[in-house]
Amino acid sequence: MDEVFKALADPSRRSLLDRLHAKNGQPLNELCDGLAMTRQAVTKHLAILEEANLVTTIRHGREKLHYLNPVPIHQIGERWIRKFDRAKLVALGELKRRLEDES
Amino acid sequence: MDITRFKPAIVYTIYIASTPDKVWQALTSAEFSEKYFSGFAVEADLKIGGAFIARAPDGSVHIDGKVIECDPPKKLTVTWNVNWPELVEKLGPTLVTYEIEPAGQNVKLTMLQSHDRPISDDILSGGREGWPAILSNLKSVLETGSAMTIPMKPPQRMLAALKAMGIKTP
Repeated sequence: MDEVFKALADPSRRSLLDRLHAKNGQPLNELCDGLAMTRQAVTKHLAILEEANLVTTIRHGREKLHYLNPVPIHQIGERWIRKFDRAKLVALGELKRRLEDES
Repeated sequence: MDITRFKPAIVYTIYIASTPDKVWQALTSAEFSEKYFSGFAVEADLKIGGAFIARAPDGSVHIDGKVIECDPPKKLTVTWNVNWPELVEKLGPTLVTYEIEPAGQNVKLTMLQSHDRPISDDILSGGREGWPAILSNLKSVLETGSAMTIPMKPPQRMLAALKAMGIKTP
């Protein structure tokens, strides 16, 4: 679990997860597109994310595709969030999102 | 069926303190699946073309599929078709692949859900919400012998999207 928090502590790595969240299953080239990071830096960050099991890669034909793996985050949720009634937290999150969208 | 036409839409990985044989058994037998998959009983005839079904607690067939690839205890690919009227006609077949690899003293289990056409986020939300719970529960069952009861129901946005396509949902 240390690895998950360490991996999530970096804004560049979180932005890579955001990109996979928006579009799952991207090859390295596509993930690098429009980013202010070098290809080497992206590769290094992806390795850390994969080590923490937040990203899974698979071979598809000749491409290596990257997928967001939410299983460790789900396990964190089960450990600490479950008992606080997820439905209420979802409702609060939704309220925040709507109010902030209006502004 | 030409499975090279299918592209994974959802890929999840979990590490389990177990052996490949036990993980294989858990994925393919009702005795285990009833504990981690909301009481659903997996019945698998483990040969190419054999039936792969998941029966709901009321006895009805919920997942109706066939074995496509079978290499125990390393890889299993099945068609994973939810048994709702016109679902396969409208969405095409769904493939689920399990890959089991030793990882030191543990096992790395990867689940891939693949489709032969683009599927909307609304419809994929079913798998995206369901699989992490199923896989976490599978891990608990293998590591501790029991699992939490996570109430699972299909997300509203998925049901609405299916309904809009003319697929009958319960």
